[in-house]
Amino acid sequence: MSRTYGIGRITGFGSWTTLLVFVALCVGAGPAFAQRGETVAGLPADEAFRLGERMYRAGLLPSGEPMRAFVQQDVEVDGTMFSCESCHVRSGMGSIEGTVITLPTNATWLYKPLVGAEMSPRSQERIPKRLDPPPFRPAYTDKALARALRLGKDPNDRVLDYVMPRYLLNSSDMEIMIHYLKNLSAESSPGVDDTTLKFATVVSNEVSAEERQAMVQTLTAHIRDHNSQTRHEERRARGGPFYKEEKYVPYRRYSLAVWELQGAPETWTAQLEDYYREGPVFALLGGITTGDWAPIHEFSERNRVPCLLPVTDYPVISESDWYTLYFSKGHYQEGETAARFLRRSQDVSRDVAVAQVYRATRQGRELAEGFNETRLRMRLPAAEDIELEDDTVIDRAFWRKLVNEHANTVLVLWLEADDLSTVDELAAVEPRPPALFVSSTVMGESVLSLPEPVRVFTFITHPNSFAEDETRSRLATERWLQAKGLPITNFETQAKMYFLGWMLSGMVKMMRDDFYRDYFFDVIDMMRDQYYSIAVYPRLSFGPGQRYASKGCYVVQLTQGPEPTLEKRSNWVVH
Amino acid sequence: MTLQPRAAISGCLGVILLLFSVSALASDRGPRFTRTEVELEIPAVTLINQEGDTVDFRAQLLTDKPVVVDFIFATCTTICPVLSAGYSNIQRKLDDSQNRVYLVSITIDPEHDGPEELATYLQRYRAKPGWDFLTGTREDIDRVMKAFEAFVPDKMSHRPLMFIRSPKNGKWVRLHGFAGSADLLKEIRLASGGSSPEEVGDE
Repeated sequence: MSRTYGIGRITGFGSWTTLLVFVALCVGAGPAFAQRGETVAGLPADEAFRLGERMYRAGLLPSGEPMRAFVQQDVEVDGTMFSCESCHVRSGMGSIEGTVITLPTNATWLYKPLVGAEMSPRSQERIPKRLDPPPFRPAYTDKALARALRLGKDPNDRVLDYVMPRYLLNSSDMEIMIHYLKNLSAESSPGVDDTTLKFATVVSNEVSAEERQAMVQTLTAHIRDHNSQTRHEERRARGGPFYKEEKYVPYRRYSLAVWELQGAPETWTAQLEDYYREGPVFALLGGITTGDWAPIHEFSERNRVPCLLPVTDYPVISESDWYTLYFSKGHYQEGETAARFLRRSQDVSRDVAVAQVYRATRQGRELAEGFNETRLRMRLPAAEDIELEDDTVIDRAFWRKLVNEHANTVLVLWLEADDLSTVDELAAVEPRPPALFVSSTVMGESVLSLPEPVRVFTFITHPNSFAEDETRSRLATERWLQAKGLPITNFETQAKMYFLGWMLSGMVKMMRDDFYRDYFFDVIDMMRDQYYSIAVYPRLSFGPGQRYASKGCYVVQLTQGPEPTLEKRSNWVVH
Repeated sequence: MTLQPRAAISGCLGVILLLFSVSALASDRGPRFTRTEVELEIPAVTLINQEGDTVDFRAQLLTDKPVVVDFIFATCTTICPVLSAGYSNIQRKLDDSQNRVYLVSITIDPEHDGPEELATYLQRYRAKPGWDFLTGTREDIDRVMKAFEAFVPDKMSHRPLMFIRSPKNGKWVRLHGFAGSADLLKEIRLASGGSSPEEVGDE
């Protein structure tokens, strides 16, 4: 028997819990059991927690074998296919997909009776008894939880939906699993108290004053906007109707600290840890550096502090890291797109030789890495890398020599406009290269001055939307900035921070008072695609574990004539 | 923004609980899926498979084996893992599955799911030859979803759907919900030439 409530299927198990939390979560590292000498299934409690986390997230038993289960009564699954985390998500707060509702399985939900709406005792007393039904289900006990996991029955003996796996677990593994669930999202994360949700933004000292200001001022305007509602929200929390208590009571003011990083990037880790020790924050918002984001990324991973949408061309490229959501893969994404576009090209053979030319800079290397790693993932041979030293002069002789040594080779030129001033030589040499690739972000507005003879066989990566396509979103951003008294100084950065602030307000409301950092990202992961609130990309999309919101990059070409324009030669996303 | 489970429970269930007694909710479990015969006009689109190769989607479905089509995405939370575990079970139960059925999954998140993501996903479910996972441009994927009446504007709103094509008459059966292995095997055998679902026994 399953429950259908008119709002969709409800899977898993749930309930509200008494605050039966016997340990406090350490900063980022999970509960601190060691000092208590507690054991679980004969293991130290922290080791059991770690193994339980692996069961929950990776579907692996303490032995290292995959967990085994049945769904839909006769469909056998193992933990390597999907795990508890797949449906109940990392925080344990559950998910909604179509008509399937997966209930929370975190500590505070399971060990408390499930009632319709959370109310204060004062409101509870005001509800007439006939409208105040008994709890939908009593609190789980350890025994009841084990029964739910093995047999799919809740404490009321109701059968859980068959999409909830029935796990084959022995008693020791079950004890470890339950120990983990009892400590999963059991207490609010650091950086939040009864009145305030604390954020920080990271700025490194080499960033120009203009860019810094564009980022910080836009974010601050959002924070100020939010806090201007505090008086009304607190009044609603005190005196709103009982059925909206859950909505109003969680309101928190925001605070935003600016963490300034000084000196060499190697020293940033220590500076970040110092800031964090002095004032733990719930999450990092935005942030900006001109170089690698890696030190901040690693700080977030280590301390499990979410970092939301920093402004950087050098994100960490990872399929498994969790705590930083980027706008895009930056320069890497342009290289990736060029490689994919080339593979799909009808005009060039898949086996064509490819060489990429770039200066020995962070930018050049990032573009080249994106290109070549993608080639390898597509099981194509890597392009030959031609890395130029600072003093290499690029003149007509350089191009002739290049073609002489690389005949019939596609040339990927991750070079600035000055380096490409004589590139028209490539239209005159024999044989002419089958295709050239350049980057619009490296060339900047000078891309429009590419010599006419090469335009017909030159493809340009363009990782942003076109101004003519973004009229509506651009106008919305500009009007908002104007209303906040912010002059447009760096539209791209301001548009990104406008989006971040807009998104933040929705996400925090969705969390209600479940202030768990993992849940923060779980909520974001379930966001719909966004079109109109972001002015510099055609759209941003999200999904469980997806950490690069802009998935695309156009490939364009210049038209002929003295006033060329850019014309799209690809879709936004190229596979 | 997408509704969260707790909000759904406290909002919808809360109101329901206040208005009705709990017993009113304790209805018996209905069927896990609904089965309907449907007529489909498959669009002429070119999609990309897990190898990165382009495929003529319409031609791909015209085989002499039953074809099963579902709509999933690689980072999906609940629906897709269950559907894909079902495919995996079918391949395991039919030793020569490659010769007896053609399984097709189509991503509804073509922005994220490129060939590499598709291949990794199939690997996770130990897919054997005979199960393809397809992506494409957003426009083409939308056309396919619309043709199967499976279109959702947002991937988090998608539904558990499977379509089975009989090679005998080209007709399609639509399963809405979660079918078990036995149910799906029954449909595959029916599509292969059985006369009605009732006449076809379980594996």
